[in-house]
Amino acid sequence: MQRPLSTLPLSSAVKAKLVTAGFHFISDLMNLKAPQLSREAGVSQQEAMAVLAELEQGVPPPSMSALQLLQKEAELQSIITFCSSLDGALGGGVPLGKTTEIYGVPGIGKTQLCLQLAVDVQVPQCFGGVGGEVIFMDTEGTFVLQRFAELAAAAVTHCSLLAEDEEQRVAMETFTVDTILSNTYVVRCHDYVELLAELRLLPSILAARPKVRLLVMDGMAAPFRPLLDDLSARTRHLGGVALQLAAVATGHDVAVVVTNQMTTRLLGGGRSRLVPALGELWGHALNIRLHLHWEGSQRLATIAKSPAHANVTVQYQISSDGFRDVDQSHAAGAK
Amino acid sequence: KFIIKVGTCPQIGSHSCLCVFTVEDLVSSNIEDLARRCSVSYKALLAIRRVLLAQHTAFPVSGADLYEELLSSTAILSTGNTSLDKLLDSGLYTGEVTELCGGPASGKSQVCFSVAVNISWRLKQSVVYVDTSGGMTAARLLQMLQVETDNTEEQMEALQRITVFRLFDVYALLHCLYELRGASLQQAAVGGGSVKAVIVDSVSAVLSPLLGGKQSEGMSLMIQVAFALKTMAKDFNIAVLVTNHVTRGRDGEVQPGLGVSWSHIPRTRILLERHEHTSTCSATLIKSSRQVPAH
Repeated sequence: MQRPLSTLPLSSAVKAKLVTAGFHFISDLMNLKAPQLSREAGVSQQEAMAVLAELEQGVPPPSMSALQLLQKEAELQSIITFCSSLDGALGGGVPLGKTTEIYGVPGIGKTQLCLQLAVDVQVPQCFGGVGGEVIFMDTEGTFVLQRFAELAAAAVTHCSLLAEDEEQRVAMETFTVDTILSNTYVVRCHDYVELLAELRLLPSILAARPKVRLLVMDGMAAPFRPLLDDLSARTRHLGGVALQLAAVATGHDVAVVVTNQMTTRLLGGGRSRLVPALGELWGHALNIRLHLHWEGSQRLATIAKSPAHANVTVQYQISSDGFRDVDQSHAAGAK
Repeated sequence: KFIIKVGTCPQIGSHSCLCVFTVEDLVSSNIEDLARRCSVSYKALLAIRRVLLAQHTAFPVSGADLYEELLSSTAILSTGNTSLDKLLDSGLYTGEVTELCGGPASGKSQVCFSVAVNISWRLKQSVVYVDTSGGMTAARLLQMLQVETDNTEEQMEALQRITVFRLFDVYALLHCLYELRGASLQQAAVGGGSVKAVIVDSVSAVLSPLLGGKQSEGMSLMIQVAFALKTMAKDFNIAVLVTNHVTRGRDGEVQPGLGVSWSHIPRTRILLERHEHTSTCSATLIKSSRQVPAH
């Protein structure tokens, strides 16, 4: 069966000219040279060369069998959160190569978890960490350097207490608060245009920094607030963002973590419910969704969506050391 | 609609100022007028037109022949879940597009995994899985296989029969679908069986950023994707399963995404819903040419 020209990524003006000239299928363009095409279709030489360049992409798309994918997944690690119950529920931690969304009401600990992950991704491999760098995209100005340094210091102390063999002691020399801070790249985005521009540059940034293993986007909802009166535009942008994040995560073996706020959905009859912001379509965008919420005075984390984990709820707390299990602090308090 | 090659009729070719470039132009133009303007005789033009019409007309086929062909080539693939099979009138039909729609976390990908595992392990046929969100996790497929069998070799063989494509834009999807038609389908058929199912999870993730707004191409690209999926299903006797999102109306009622134009594409549509309080999921048949919509 013939493949129509409209399935090629060409500009609509060029496509219109080709169709008027009678070229409908890719087979019509075979064995044509650029000057000939340019003459017959009435397009410029450059446009004709661009069209023929698209044709030469007759390579089969990359694929792998599920078995190869399984082997690849086994090699990819997860980023520990230092909250062992959450790590256990997630099968090791926040997985590399997948996109994760953290949503919850203000003050529940979303940014704290992001800062913790930004520290934890740098834990050396001999301690069971990933040993990678992190890009932190901050849209609401929530990145506070002092708090990040506190979390970094607590992690360094924790690891130095655990260091047993020579390899770990050597690794501790390069795992200090200073190196943690220098391996964290903070980007400040003030509105959705800057966010979209940053995402567009991301593949080249990641190519230049191959050690990055975590991308944090703290605050996806706030930059899109000006678009609330043009919801369909927002949905389109978010759809594009979702595809780009998925491409980045799978293409560069990076864990992408995005935080989102809650909004109220009116259910009719005077009832309402708190739901994640950014609309229905965004709910499908990311692979894993973690819902952080209160129950009384206890903080809970629920896996609301995941392709490979059960929907469990675990307890956690935010201490001066960072994102931790509940039990640890009680044990520390008892001491 | 092909360009008239200059060799077939040099006189017409040399009179290109007559604006006759394609077969369509010749067949629809006034022959008397054309005969007067170029040096070809009226009779010759008439003969040329008759030949072109004969070459390019569609052939009518009798309904009985179509039915016979359908009976011999259609297969019904079980999804692995008996109640879902019942909803689908015994399973996924090859030659058709079936759609699974639902809200976030309603289980669409899980059903797709289950279908892939069932076809590759139980039916020993190959499956092509197109993943547009990065959600395909082979560890989950293995978990499902481990429930069916303890034999590691059988598990590995079943995993080898599932080919995964990861694509994140519509042109890559179209390229993949046309390449599959070309040669890749034979390559994807592993271990003796042929490719019996193509699963696209999710088709709305690549199509929804293109629709609406000032973009005029979105609709046409959506129809191109639909055409590629339907013809692949028909020509290669494959069951095509796609997933779609849902949109929420003003009073909370859910509708499948991608609009009215897409709604004609799948032959059968199933809506998956998760009930928060009972933590169960339900499946509703919302469109079918064979059954009455039911739960």
